[in-house]
Amino acid sequence: MTTQPAALPPIECMGVTIAFGSHTVIRDLSLAVQPGEFVALGGDSGTGKSTLLQAIMGFTPLQAGEVRIMGQPLNPATVWQLRRHIAYVPQEAQVGNGMKTEAFLQRPFSYKANAGQRYDAKVARELFDCFRLPQRLFTSPLHSLSGGEKQRIAIIGAILLNRPLYLLDEITSALDEDSTRAVTDWFAGQTDATILAVAHDAVFREAARRIVPLRVNGDQP
Amino acid sequence: MSSALDIGYGALAAGYLLILIPLAIMLYLRVSFLSDTLIALVRMTLQLLFVGFYLQFVFNLNLWWLNFIWLLVMVLVANLNILNNSRLRRRTFLAPMFVAMSAGMGIPLLYMIGVILRLPNLFEAQYFIPLAGMIMGNCLRSNIVGMRSFYGTLKEQRPAFLLTLSQGASLWEALLPHVRRSFEDAIAPAVSGMATIGLVALPGMMTGIIMGGTNPMTAIKYQIAIMIAIFTGQTLSVFLGIVLTLRRSFTPFGVLRSDIFRKES
Repeated sequence: MTTQPAALPPIECMGVTIAFGSHTVIRDLSLAVQPGEFVALGGDSGTGKSTLLQAIMGFTPLQAGEVRIMGQPLNPATVWQLRRHIAYVPQEAQVGNGMKTEAFLQRPFSYKANAGQRYDAKVARELFDCFRLPQRLFTSPLHSLSGGEKQRIAIIGAILLNRPLYLLDEITSALDEDSTRAVTDWFAGQTDATILAVAHDAVFREAARRIVPLRVNGDQP
Repeated sequence: MSSALDIGYGALAAGYLLILIPLAIMLYLRVSFLSDTLIALVRMTLQLLFVGFYLQFVFNLNLWWLNFIWLLVMVLVANLNILNNSRLRRRTFLAPMFVAMSAGMGIPLLYMIGVILRLPNLFEAQYFIPLAGMIMGNCLRSNIVGMRSFYGTLKEQRPAFLLTLSQGASLWEALLPHVRRSFEDAIAPAVSGMATIGLVALPGMMTGIIMGGTNPMTAIKYQIAIMIAIFTGQTLSVFLGIVLTLRRSFTPFGVLRSDIFRKES
């Protein structure tokens, strides 16, 4: 897909400052992710990479600045609509307990916001193969899965939603080399999707077109 | 109809000797809450004596507004107890909880007095106060479990909750499984209590009425009516307690506020 030069950046942070109490995590950060771009956030631990993704989802309040999704400012009135553009994979894949894998994958399709879409078991099964997950895990309870398995289930859950933007937080942290490669290749092949990822893993990070470093205490370059 | 045998104050004092058995066991095991137990024992005695004197007074006067104030004080004390136990901020939660508990207790109470007992005076002290106390005591226990479970698990499972929001859930869609689970936690003991009553335990109200000299069949009818009233009160107050506190507990972005919890001291 060719990108229109005039298109608005799907994700845009303007002068974003985030603080917890007196501790400023991100200070005056501006960042625009262009349509179809794959951007990785770099920098040491504690530089607020995950926090930034959470702020873009509207989970963490901004001290100052503005986040725009698809050109619209993120605020209480727009957040519920704007979240529908984003497939978010959180760190450590805390997918919840008390249900089986397939029920977890199906659940989002029961929400009104996704009423136009249907759960596609065939695609889900293909993604299981693609990410080297045994098909029998479909019927396993989530709490019996390993960290790496849960992480891939969370990724598949996000992909199934078929959304144009991906926010990926350390999605290969619990994966072995093979699975990391498989996941990386899949995302590298999504030229239509706009991806903003936190990645420590070198393999995954190399797939990004651009790396944006964040600094400790929010002091931006 | 004979009335219950009175207990002399000397005999009651002898009753306290029985407490030496649990105290001895607790001492032997070096249980951590021995001093709490002693304080609880003193509180129980003072509170009940106070209520005894107060009730004598109130029953003699039998003024509807005085009974009504008694009810409000009871709701208030119950609410403070619930919020203390679930470590939630009073300033945020007292008003919605007050509404939840008042409705949860008031509706089955007035129904029982007006429709089942058909008393002309809804605030008749002899019925109003003990029935309110029974319904309230049970609502209190259920709500401690309900509120603790609801806000506790939401705090604990924050990432999984946020994940459902990211998947497109509305606030209510994301909360519904949590509401359901906390409601189940709070109400399940009441359901199993109902299922075994009479077999395993003789309920306090019934024993009280029987010892008071009433025919056991009448006592049973009272017991059935109060069980239904209590169960209605529990479900209503737990449901309203959760639903009415929601509005104050989440940011407009759908995130649980951290300032609703009391700071651990």
